[in-house]
Amino acid sequence: MTDERPRTISRRALLRGAGAAGAAAAASAVGVSAQPSTTPASTTVPAGAVIQPTETVTTPVVYEQLSADEAELLGAIADHLIPEDEHGPGAVAAGAVVYIDRALGGALSASRDAYRGGLAAFERYCRSSRGAPFRELSQVDQISALIDVETGAATGAGSGFAGSSGAFFGMVRGHVLQGTFGDPYYGGNRNFIGWDLIKYPGVRTAVSPALQTALESGELEPNHRSAYDSDNFEKAIVRSVTREMRHGD
Amino acid sequence: MMKGTFGELALCIGLFLSLIGPRTVEAQPPAHRILVESSAMQSGETMPRDFTPDGRNLSPPITWSDLPEGTREIAVVCSDFGAGNPPPWVHWIIYSIPATANGLPEGLPILAETALPTELAGAIQGLNGWRRPYYRGPAPPPGTPHIYHFTVYALDEPLGLGPGLDREDLLRAMNGHVIGQGDIVPIYERFGNE
Repeated sequence: MTDERPRTISRRALLRGAGAAGAAAAASAVGVSAQPSTTPASTTVPAGAVIQPTETVTTPVVYEQLSADEAELLGAIADHLIPEDEHGPGAVAAGAVVYIDRALGGALSASRDAYRGGLAAFERYCRSSRGAPFRELSQVDQISALIDVETGAATGAGSGFAGSSGAFFGMVRGHVLQGTFGDPYYGGNRNFIGWDLIKYPGVRTAVSPALQTALESGELEPNHRSAYDSDNFEKAIVRSVTREMRHGD
Repeated sequence: MMKGTFGELALCIGLFLSLIGPRTVEAQPPAHRILVESSAMQSGETMPRDFTPDGRNLSPPITWSDLPEGTREIAVVCSDFGAGNPPPWVHWIIYSIPATANGLPEGLPILAETALPTELAGAIQGLNGWRRPYYRGPAPPPGTPHIYHFTVYALDEPLGLGPGLDREDLLRAMNGHVIGQGDIVPIYERFGNE
């Protein structure tokens, strides 16, 4: 499996873990969608702890497609793939789990069963191989379990992955990357955390010589704008199977 | 029926290759036999599942003795000659081990920032078949037992190797320097989804 991220980010995947650092507690599996109006403080919590909104979160996230437990587990996995470290906030703070949850109601709806089955199989694998659910394992055992899922070694270990465990890992990794570095319109890359992480200055529909010079000298300030803030781009409208909604809502 | 016959033939070939061990074209067979043992597993017997992805997937403890005189450095390679295209599939490489070490403890680190034990100062975990610098244990297809060669090499001088070597790189670097060799050869089999 290759590392597809720009060279400005060292490969942090599966090298560090901070337990289940979550964005917010999930209140319900189905309900009115809401987005946090502020970026929650990244909090390192012990494995197994219940994630509660911090005082900086004014509105908790309500997950629509994922159960509370699934969202928390997915957040714990995402926190290993792109953890918070000296480079900046990680995937959880960027809202990658929110992105995945929203996308499962739209463009990624075909993956809902894969997530449900895969997350359950992953927990079964952790219990059978290491004696506890993922969030209760030590940091090293969490990383070791993820490596085994990534390499496909968890397949055939009595966990019940449909197909190779590596396919499940690849799916999650790809969506975590999308949710961290994609356009915020789609629900992730909250407050442009992902774009700031890779020093991407943002979409510009016209580039003057001065802007080009600033970019090449590394002095171009990020504009923190979604591509869809510009009328030049047609907003993608994805209808859920249950109700009509924008993908980015 | 033809498919079953071909499968049986392939299994026989695989088991034969796994039994004969390292191809002699890759390393001169040394005269001195090192005694390699483990407190946790035996040659010819099933290794504990905690050294596999069915358990915690820790590296197993290995000890060696009766090193040849003049040993200056040690290397260890874990290979499955019944897997890989071409074989072997490499589960672990660790080299530049000080000659003063008498073994590898259980559970060597998988995190880059975690140091090896002091008795292994300077040792380097090379790249296994997954291109990872740490141990990953057996995960054979269900129903087929595989054989795992943990081979210890005694070298006549420190090779000054850097990180990132795989098995082929290591064998090439060790060529002409191996003065002793020994192994412990446990087996492992999976039995399918329960």
